[in-house]
Amino acid sequence: MWSYTLRRVLLTLPTLLIVVTVCYLLLHATPGGPFDGERKVSAEVLANLQAKYHLGEPLWKQYLFYLDGLLHGDLGASFRYADWSVNDLVLRALPVSLTIGGVSMLLAIVIGVALGVVAALRRNSIADYTLMLVSNAGNAFPSFVLGPVLILVFAILLKWLPAGGWNDFQLRYMALPIALLAMINVATVGRVTRASLIEVLNTNYIRTARAKGLPMRTVVLRHALKPTLIPVVSVIGPLAISSITAAVVTESVFSLPGIGKLIVNGAANRDYTLVLGLVVLVTVVAVLLNLLVDLAYAWLDPKIRY
Amino acid sequence: MKSASLAPMLEKAVAGRSPWQDARARFLRNKAAVVSLILLVLITLACIVGPWLLPNEFDSTDWNATSVAPTLANWHLFGTDDTGRDLLVRCLIGGRVSLMIGALATLTSVTLGIVWGAIAGFVGGRIDNAMMRIVDMMYAIPYLLIAILMVTLLGREFYLVVITITIFSWMDMARVVRGQTLSIRLKEYVEAARAIGVPTRRIIARHVVPNLLGIVAIYTTVTVPAVILTESVLSFLGLGVQEPMTSWGVLIQDGVGVMESSPWILLFPAALLSITLYCINFVGDGLRDALDPKDR
Amino acid sequence: MTFFSVHHVSVQRTKLAAAAALLALSALNATAAIVPSGVALAAKQELVRNNGSEVETLDPALVETVVAANVSRDLFESLTATDSDGKVVPGVAEKWEQKDSTTWIFHLRKNARWSNGDPVTANDFVYGCQRFVDPKTASSYANVFGPFLLNGADIVAGKKPASALGVRAIDANTIEVKTDGLVPFLPELMSNPNLGPVHRATVEKFGKDWTKPGNLVSNGAFQLKDWQVNSKLVLTKNSNYWDKTNVQLTQVTYLPVEDENTDVKLFQSGENDMTYQLPTGTYAKYSQQFPKDIRNSLILGTRYYSFNNRDPLLKDVRVRKALSMVIDRDLLAQRVTADGQTPLYGLLPKGVSGAEVSNYEWSTWPMAKRVEEAKKLLEQAGVKPGTKLSFAMNTSDYNKKMAIFVASEWKTKLGLTMDIESMEFKVLLKKRHGGDYQIARNGWVADYNDATTFLTLVQCKSEQNDSFSCNPKADALIKEAAATTDLAKRTQLQTQAAKIVMDDYPMLPLLQYGLPRLVKSYVGGYSLKNPMDHYGSKDLYIVKH
Repeated sequence: MWSYTLRRVLLTLPTLLIVVTVCYLLLHATPGGPFDGERKVSAEVLANLQAKYHLGEPLWKQYLFYLDGLLHGDLGASFRYADWSVNDLVLRALPVSLTIGGVSMLLAIVIGVALGVVAALRRNSIADYTLMLVSNAGNAFPSFVLGPVLILVFAILLKWLPAGGWNDFQLRYMALPIALLAMINVATVGRVTRASLIEVLNTNYIRTARAKGLPMRTVVLRHALKPTLIPVVSVIGPLAISSITAAVVTESVFSLPGIGKLIVNGAANRDYTLVLGLVVLVTVVAVLLNLLVDLAYAWLDPKIRY
Repeated sequence: MKSASLAPMLEKAVAGRSPWQDARARFLRNKAAVVSLILLVLITLACIVGPWLLPNEFDSTDWNATSVAPTLANWHLFGTDDTGRDLLVRCLIGGRVSLMIGALATLTSVTLGIVWGAIAGFVGGRIDNAMMRIVDMMYAIPYLLIAILMVTLLGREFYLVVITITIFSWMDMARVVRGQTLSIRLKEYVEAARAIGVPTRRIIARHVVPNLLGIVAIYTTVTVPAVILTESVLSFLGLGVQEPMTSWGVLIQDGVGVMESSPWILLFPAALLSITLYCINFVGDGLRDALDPKDR
Repeated sequence: MTFFSVHHVSVQRTKLAAAAALLALSALNATAAIVPSGVALAAKQELVRNNGSEVETLDPALVETVVAANVSRDLFESLTATDSDGKVVPGVAEKWEQKDSTTWIFHLRKNARWSNGDPVTANDFVYGCQRFVDPKTASSYANVFGPFLLNGADIVAGKKPASALGVRAIDANTIEVKTDGLVPFLPELMSNPNLGPVHRATVEKFGKDWTKPGNLVSNGAFQLKDWQVNSKLVLTKNSNYWDKTNVQLTQVTYLPVEDENTDVKLFQSGENDMTYQLPTGTYAKYSQQFPKDIRNSLILGTRYYSFNNRDPLLKDVRVRKALSMVIDRDLLAQRVTADGQTPLYGLLPKGVSGAEVSNYEWSTWPMAKRVEEAKKLLEQAGVKPGTKLSFAMNTSDYNKKMAIFVASEWKTKLGLTMDIESMEFKVLLKKRHGGDYQIARNGWVADYNDATTFLTLVQCKSEQNDSFSCNPKADALIKEAAATTDLAKRTQLQTQAAKIVMDDYPMLPLLQYGLPRLVKSYVGGYSLKNPMDHYGSKDLYIVKH
């Protein structure tokens, strides 16, 4: 298991290299450059800008220059936010996204699994339908509708919470965005848990356990839960990745300085270095989370060995 | 009980029931799923046929009748939007786009995801590793760039929207299927089948796929809303529907801004979308229940 | 009336100009917030205002956008400044005079200080201006403002060293500015932070990091306290500012919220005192909902559509004229956009100095007559109904609405269909700058209050001319205007040039920009007569509420 983990971690490096190269090519292939503005810059100024940022040199040279910086932990300077280095920007945005995405994911797991278990045990009853109706709301309504509705209710009408902004991890400002992301994720986690538990409850060894006369609670918690969680954990991986790195709508609606917005704005501004730096970050996050999920499989299903 | 009463029963040929007929019967017993399916069919029909039957055009503006609340006059049953166009017809026209793209893009991304994940999970080892690392990489690439490139290099054709959406949506299903396949592969009955020499193809068809159907059905219904909403994001970038054509996602985006002053502009398309998604969810659950080999 | 719109000049205009300058100056003593008598101020003088997006830099030489300029004006004060009505007032320079047609002398006040206590000297300005035009700094506005100063254009092009710039320190408190040709709006031009002072020692000590909180040394009404990218930017009152007694606000927080709906929600919940703009189509609603908070003023900006004058269909001026004639701009302004923008029938917006605004003669005709005439023109040009036009725009609700309207006008009145292609902003720019379009959405906001900032859009070889139009006669007139020393003649020549160009119909003018926003009624000092949308925080104050 440990050698497996180590191997996976080491594999991150070639993965990063490939992703960075692909994105680098993509960025330069996309029409429009960082200095294209409403007001066209004169040829002389453009030449000066390109000289300053090494953009006039051949692509492969720039690429090597970038890689060299990368190896030294220097992600370069941002074009769009001229006063800041990409390291600065990424390191400031990461904790915000990690907190919002991470906490909402934890909430979604706890609530979603609980909802799914209860719904599965009371299958096809009113309780089941109601629980599924409620939990699926996060799936049936787009986040850019749910978000403003939450703001309308809690910030404008009830005036309990602020309408947005980020105030150094103050709970009041984190409550609504976390709630929004959690709502959305609960939908998927709940449904998958329910479906999975129903399937597991029909397996032979569960039937045996019930036939033995074990109380339902023991059956569920001791025998059924682990296999139930395998597809749930599969689903949590992608959900966590997108909650942390791609929560663009949440960040826009609540005006949070997170990674999602930074990537989208960076791409829109053709801020090459910023986008590449964020791509590195997202790759690391994706690799780590997927690794955690794979390790979780081993814990949940004793037959899975690495 | 006289044995004679059994004879007529025994004489009648016993028609066997295939597992598919079983599944259909089970599905039909699930009331929520059946109602949802009927609703879905109705909505689809309305979207296809409605615009032909209704008197208003989806792109005729009326600057004297902007943002009118729902009324019976002029057949503006859903009201009008901020340029005076009838919202009912636009919702139906938008439905055509969303349903079609929803169906197609979901189909392609789910298929790709299943194939990718099943192969990786079943074969295991180095190939699994490589395939899953490619999935990791796909998560990192910013979709905005790909979308802009697609528009620039290839144009705005309809099928390009489907392809672009697929590119960003297949990975989730791949991971889910791979995880499930991993655990199925190690089950005793699969081990037993291999031990007696059943060819891999049959193992996959007979054991792996049926056990995947459940999770696939559920996750497919999770993919559909994501696909429909991705379409509206792409149309912002110029890939996908352009004015005056519209889709539910675009209609909803337009409606959010005027949520408080003209709520119907948001309400109707959002209601249509959410009803459709809820129905798909219940149908998905029904399918899962119906197709579960162990569910008696 | 802007500071230098002196129309009637005599031969000895330099003397008159100097006298006028001194006269006007003596009428204005303070340049910061003038609180009307009887207005009670709140105890807490803190303002939160939305800036619409994150600033690209706080380095005054590199400032490009309105967003960064807003903050820059709060942090840095240049030779001159502008008051809340947009009029030029003394800044670090307490008085100035024009020695001859291309030479200006600015006298700095002796009590101007940097936020760290150092006195602001003439050398700070020389350093700042030279740094601004230096190719190594690579400022993208260097070739917008630079060419107005002697040798500016050559320095930007790398042909002369930065030390050759026509900004010279005569002594520690006197600066001589030499312009390239007649620049009657030079005092207003010098109010831009790009042409302001920079604290040399700080830049040399910290290099690229000199603009970070804790390092930045400013000489304006405020100093930098905190800067969290994409979250907020906090300024506090500069206790070393020479006019600090008239600065009421003790803290200003700039928010970078881009989503207009979020902006308004923050305003509603009290987290934001001033929005940046309003979401499309909500002006009427918010005017009703917040009657005391809604503010709207026309600025020097224009919304127009660029015609690609090289396009085979649009090559014929009759076609372009027809397309322009049939648009009902009144309906567009009142019903479609409905947010206080006014119809525009020419190149120049109302209120600009240096030329008179002229409208097309057909702008007063009844619409039926216009349509008839337009149809005739199309027939003559051989364009039949059913012809397709293609229109490129960047995705935005506002653009979309306008485009739908224009498309429906052309369809119902001329039988032409318009294909609307929305695309990402940079992709649109590439198409427009490269001439790869037929009709494209465009807009322009003045960089300074003079007609030349708009004339550059239609000059033959101008980079900002996306229409690829060329009228040599108008160009000649513009050149002549730039060379003349007679202000009245200059105005006349520029007016004529604008008129001639517009008769070529190189572009389709639609609306003049208005800037509706929500400003809490307890924020005082927000003038509705500000043509450049420069609202310095030093002019604002919080009324007791």
